[in-house]
Amino acid sequence: MLWLESAMPDWKEEVRKHLPSDRLRVADPDAIVSELATHLEETYAHARLQGLDEAAALKRTLQVIEDGHVLAQKIIRAKESAVNHRTKSLWLPALVTLFAASVSLTLFQVVGVRPRLLWVGPWAFTLYWAWLATLPGIGAFGGYLSRRAQAPATWLLAASLSPALVMLIVMCVILPWGLVIDGFHFFRLIGFGLGLINWVVIPGIALLPGALPFLLSNDAGSRAVRTEA
Amino acid sequence: MTKRIRTQIARGSAELAILSLLEEQPLYGFEIAKQIGERTSGALTFTLASLYPLLYEMEKRGWLEARWQANAAGRDRRYYHLTPKGRRQLGPLREEWRSFFHALDALAGVSHA
Repeated sequence: MLWLESAMPDWKEEVRKHLPSDRLRVADPDAIVSELATHLEETYAHARLQGLDEAAALKRTLQVIEDGHVLAQKIIRAKESAVNHRTKSLWLPALVTLFAASVSLTLFQVVGVRPRLLWVGPWAFTLYWAWLATLPGIGAFGGYLSRRAQAPATWLLAASLSPALVMLIVMCVILPWGLVIDGFHFFRLIGFGLGLINWVVIPGIALLPGALPFLLSNDAGSRAVRTEA
Repeated sequence: MTKRIRTQIARGSAELAILSLLEEQPLYGFEIAKQIGERTSGALTFTLASLYPLLYEMEKRGWLEARWQANAAGRDRRYYHLTPKGRRQLGPLREEWRSFFHALDALAGVSHA
């Protein structure tokens, strides 16, 4: 190669050879190519300053960018937008958890598993024992999906508890609506409180043990060496 | 030690190293890698595939800000500056690593003194 002895290579061209544009699918690939090219240029100059001849300096420089495939993948992951990250680590696990909890409840209702009424004084709590027994597993699945996508602890918790959180939102909409339509009744508030316990607090408590292992390991990992995004 | 833990330790230490270095002055990628390598006597080294993805990620988190500027030789380089958000990460990060070393020291007698 003639340019080995005569002139420095076109570093941008070298980067493009290893990181073709079809691999580097990010918003501004040219800026990345320019920056990596400056790195190669500096590496080459540094090698020459250390006394290497042109060929040896060039060989060392090109070794730096040898594995273009891995580099492209890492850059794409690093440049991935915050929206994508939120979708993968919060919304998607939350939807999956919610869907699984809904399907599980529906299945038990279809096969005729009845809820049990638990009387505490004058108050009756409706407990779907069979369904509640599945919730730790469902919460764990949501936690796993969320942690796999490197979610911060709050997102992981929200994804795992999403069935309870959605019910909380629904109930917070129903209560004021009911008060507006029917007027204020003390018993409506009592009903709301019981609904809150039956559909938010108890399922939330059932989901939590599934989320906790992921939450704790996520927290331990990120606090000890602090890598969370 | 699992690969995941090793990776996290490497990433965590790299983040602290980069933030600490940029606290002193803005630098571009090659200089960051070079100075970290020199100042840690080669204990911490970066490859192209470990340095830039991490810089881009820290930039995305708002810890760093990058601008093209001419270096001393008049060549354009992409300088990384520490943002106020990045500066706020430094204290907790240092504290976490201090605790980490104390824990290791207590457990395995690994002292850095």
